[in-house]
Amino acid sequence: MTINTHPTLPEFEYVRPETLAEASEFLTRYPGEARPFLGGTDIFVRMRDGLITPNFLVDVKKLDGTNDLRFEPQAGLTLGAAVNMNRVIASREVQAHYPLLAEACRSVASYQLRTRATVVGNICNASPAGDTIGACLVFNGVLHIHEVNGLRQEPLAEFFLGPGKTTLKPGDIVTAIHLPLPPKGCAGVYLKLGRNKLSDLSLVGVTALGHPDPSLPSGYRFRLALASVAPVPLVPTQAETYLANQPITPETIREAAHLAAEACAPIDDLRGSARYRKEMVRNLSAKALSEVWEKLK
Amino acid sequence: MEKANTQNIPSPIGENKQRIDARDKVTGAAIYADDFQFGNSLLHARIKRSPHPHALIKKIDTTKARALPGVKAIVTGEDFPGYIGLYLQDRFIFCRERVRYVGDPVAGVAAISEEIAQKALDMIEVECEILEPVLDPEFGVSPKAPLIHPDLGQYVVASFILPKPGTNISNHFKIRKGDVDSAWEKCAAIVERKYRIPHIQHVPIEPHVAIAKVDESGGVTLWGSSQSPFAQRNLIAQSMGISQSDMRVIAPIVGGGFGSKAGVSMEALAVAIATKVKGRPVKLLLTREEEFFTAFVRQGLVAYFKMGCDEKGRLLAVENRFYWDAGAYTEYGVNITRASGYSSSGPYEVPNVKTDSYCVYTNHPVGGPMRGFGMPEMHAGLEQCIDELALQIGMDAVAFRKLNCLKTGSILVTGSKMHPTGLPQCVEIVAEAIGWGKKSPPSAPHKRRGKGLALMWKAPAMPPNAGSSAWVELAEDGTLNVGVGGQEIGQGVFTVAAQMAAAALGVPYESVRIATPIDTRYSPYEWQTVASRLTWSMGNAIVRAAKDARRQILEVVAEAWEETIEDLDIVNGVVISFKSEKEIPLKNLVIYGLPKPGDQGWRGGPVIGRSNFMPTYVTGLDPETGQGERAVVHYTTGAQAVELEVDLDTGRIEILKGVSAFDVGKAINPEMVKAQMEGGFVQGMSSALFEILQLKGGVVQNPSFVDYRIATSADIPKDLQAYIVEVAQDDGPWGARGIGEHSMVPTIPAIANAIYDAVGVRFEGPPFTAEKVYLAMQDAGLIE
Repeated sequence: MTINTHPTLPEFEYVRPETLAEASEFLTRYPGEARPFLGGTDIFVRMRDGLITPNFLVDVKKLDGTNDLRFEPQAGLTLGAAVNMNRVIASREVQAHYPLLAEACRSVASYQLRTRATVVGNICNASPAGDTIGACLVFNGVLHIHEVNGLRQEPLAEFFLGPGKTTLKPGDIVTAIHLPLPPKGCAGVYLKLGRNKLSDLSLVGVTALGHPDPSLPSGYRFRLALASVAPVPLVPTQAETYLANQPITPETIREAAHLAAEACAPIDDLRGSARYRKEMVRNLSAKALSEVWEKLK
Repeated sequence: MEKANTQNIPSPIGENKQRIDARDKVTGAAIYADDFQFGNSLLHARIKRSPHPHALIKKIDTTKARALPGVKAIVTGEDFPGYIGLYLQDRFIFCRERVRYVGDPVAGVAAISEEIAQKALDMIEVECEILEPVLDPEFGVSPKAPLIHPDLGQYVVASFILPKPGTNISNHFKIRKGDVDSAWEKCAAIVERKYRIPHIQHVPIEPHVAIAKVDESGGVTLWGSSQSPFAQRNLIAQSMGISQSDMRVIAPIVGGGFGSKAGVSMEALAVAIATKVKGRPVKLLLTREEEFFTAFVRQGLVAYFKMGCDEKGRLLAVENRFYWDAGAYTEYGVNITRASGYSSSGPYEVPNVKTDSYCVYTNHPVGGPMRGFGMPEMHAGLEQCIDELALQIGMDAVAFRKLNCLKTGSILVTGSKMHPTGLPQCVEIVAEAIGWGKKSPPSAPHKRRGKGLALMWKAPAMPPNAGSSAWVELAEDGTLNVGVGGQEIGQGVFTVAAQMAAAALGVPYESVRIATPIDTRYSPYEWQTVASRLTWSMGNAIVRAAKDARRQILEVVAEAWEETIEDLDIVNGVVISFKSEKEIPLKNLVIYGLPKPGDQGWRGGPVIGRSNFMPTYVTGLDPETGQGERAVVHYTTGAQAVELEVDLDTGRIEILKGVSAFDVGKAINPEMVKAQMEGGFVQGMSSALFEILQLKGGVVQNPSFVDYRIATSADIPKDLQAYIVEVAQDDGPWGARGIGEHSMVPTIPAIANAIYDAVGVRFEGPPFTAEKVYLAMQDAGLIE
């Protein structure tokens, strides 16, 4: 390893199209060279470190609908791509219906950065450590994507392919994330483990959501999403299925947490060892599920 | 004439005066080195650095880089044959023949833009022959280790530093007090432990910056963020072979130093490059990445302790071996080795002590001074051993410390006697404040609580004759302008200087100004802003200078009023007579003097007081035994205690409460003294819980704030208490001695002892990260 002593933002061209169609067209014309650009809190850092070198940053923050934060009592929440996290946190509708999402946003970086950072940007960055991805996953988020040929919708659960890799193709612009109405009587929690209390990347993040579901043998459905423990944000379905079929007790919660830990494949890195991360998935999943269960019962 | 109220004028000494620099800093008006503007003539410097920890330079080809348009100068070690260094001159400004750490400067470029300078760096071709590196200090002292400084025997060295030529040991400090070997059999309990303290970095908010300009006649001006403008003047001038008077250093207030901006680190690079582009200022500004491994780091330490006490708990013997991982150049680190040696008993009276403290060259980043100067590293292990020894002999750890800690008149490890000290009071205070002996219930079932306590001592580590000087002059309006050479690095010294000058002369604090920025051409000499020595040493110089001015003023007035000086006083900016009850404001006489009656001429004139202070009583220590009459000027002592909670599910430690008590002799500004205690606690806590430079093959793996974590405001315990103990220093101004560094010395062991109290695990060294704590608890079978 050699240390780059003078990381610098390389030269690039800033492009601000007037319409989504124009933006998609431009992105299609320069595949591999042009990237959509939201708050910039990740992209600038990665460009400065030389990890990516786009020639064009296409600002999509002013385009149709990307600034909307809209809650419809029948349909749910639509969060425009350009809506920053502090707006999400401050939104009364989010606080009332998706407090879990606000909680996840609050765990990200610092107040100053959250004025730039966006939930959609967090998703498109596709880091396994993304703190807000878990909440969007357990609420069954759906991405609204503008492509050259029009619009498409894509479930978030199928979006991630690997670290920094998604199903997005050149010309695709995620305009919003839509969260359906939260399940009735649901409760959620996000537990983030950083090395210190403020502004760290998550060493492990556990999102848990639960709600009554009479159609299931246990009477409850639990959702889990794990950050920083696999190449992609991970949903440990074995643990979820297990809790759907077992009476909810401290023992079954422990077993589900164990299954969650078994499902993940963490790595050793500067921030922590795989061994510790796996243990933390188990302990924090148990804690998160218990906390949710306390709120439900 | 209005009557001055002399009854209710409180002395500013001991008052919580508002910081003299508060307004400028809060409003953003304060000027830092990077704020100086130089216009179009400014050139930008960049440094080509070694990617290898240890290699011989075979060839440097700068031809292509020189041809690049916009490049104005390229320099290499060939251009600058002079050595540089504070206590041991073991460094070239640019490497010659050999590189000794990853980041060692090989060449420097000045260009019209940063981009061109960077491009030129990439075009410099360097051929190297890679050598085996030394990456561990214990390996470094072994005969198998490659020599990093084969010329060690020829280096210029201070008389009290003892290098071992032909080895990687640049200083070997010994204590041989009493007879350790025969003491062990008298011990009822013995503890033997090994600790490993990692490298950390100071991480000042403001990175290092230096702008150098050389004029046509060779005169050098250096603007920089510096704790040591005068040491830089001296050392850079010596190394470049110029006169000290041709070297001018201008140093505005510093945005955080913690030792990293003491001595000379990167400043000489800018000066060297500037000699090749006369008339043009050359700016070198370190990036945060460079800050982490090319400025000073805190040395690593491998420490062995053996300690024993009798059945009553009286300490009988201590035997230590310290291997300082001092890095590629130890020009400053050699004295950390010495300081840890002459403090190696800790703040205890121990009849038999044997210490070997080795400063070891390694191919790691350059170790330098950092807040505490070796004491936090040494106390980290020592104060854990004290707890373990108390446990073994069945004594309470506080009782054990009270029994053994230094008291006034105790015989020190170097053989001299302890001056009056409030250490026993400090122990009492923190034990009481933390609720020692009482276990409070944890906040949740999966948490465990613990309390821990540690003591400390530390002397200013400096040459025996480190001097200060000061002047004061009065303006037409009677305000006092105080010239000092010590630097404001956030510690509040300008405020304390103003308080002392005001008190010594007799003017209100509000009418004192400090002459800034520090400029070696106009400011009075100060050795360095290090060692927590300014309040004491510079303070003495200020008081004497103010008294000098006071004498001049009173002589003029006494003559005019036909009274004696003893009849007069200066109160609140007014000269008053107790005898005749006459009075005259200072502004009426300090510039123009006083007229003689009947238009018969004048007396007096512009008042300027000047003086200095230098300790004259520090003696040498025997090189074989470390014994001597007076090793240091004084010791500041103190204690800290913490209460914390360990989360069994994650291993995370939450500090619930931190308590500090230090004997500062006299608190000139009590709130600022307390702020030092709090700040030191937080920095100590940060080094205990989070901080480590992760070195692999000589390369720092985490040179950024993403993965070098420091405590944030959210990590600070909600309950942070600071207590001031005042047992006067005989030669301190109003009895004051230093407090800046001391407050982070006992924090690591206090936390380690509290972790042990909570969950019964101990570690080889910090940081006590959640992961380390969790896995240790798991390995010990405390959790599943």
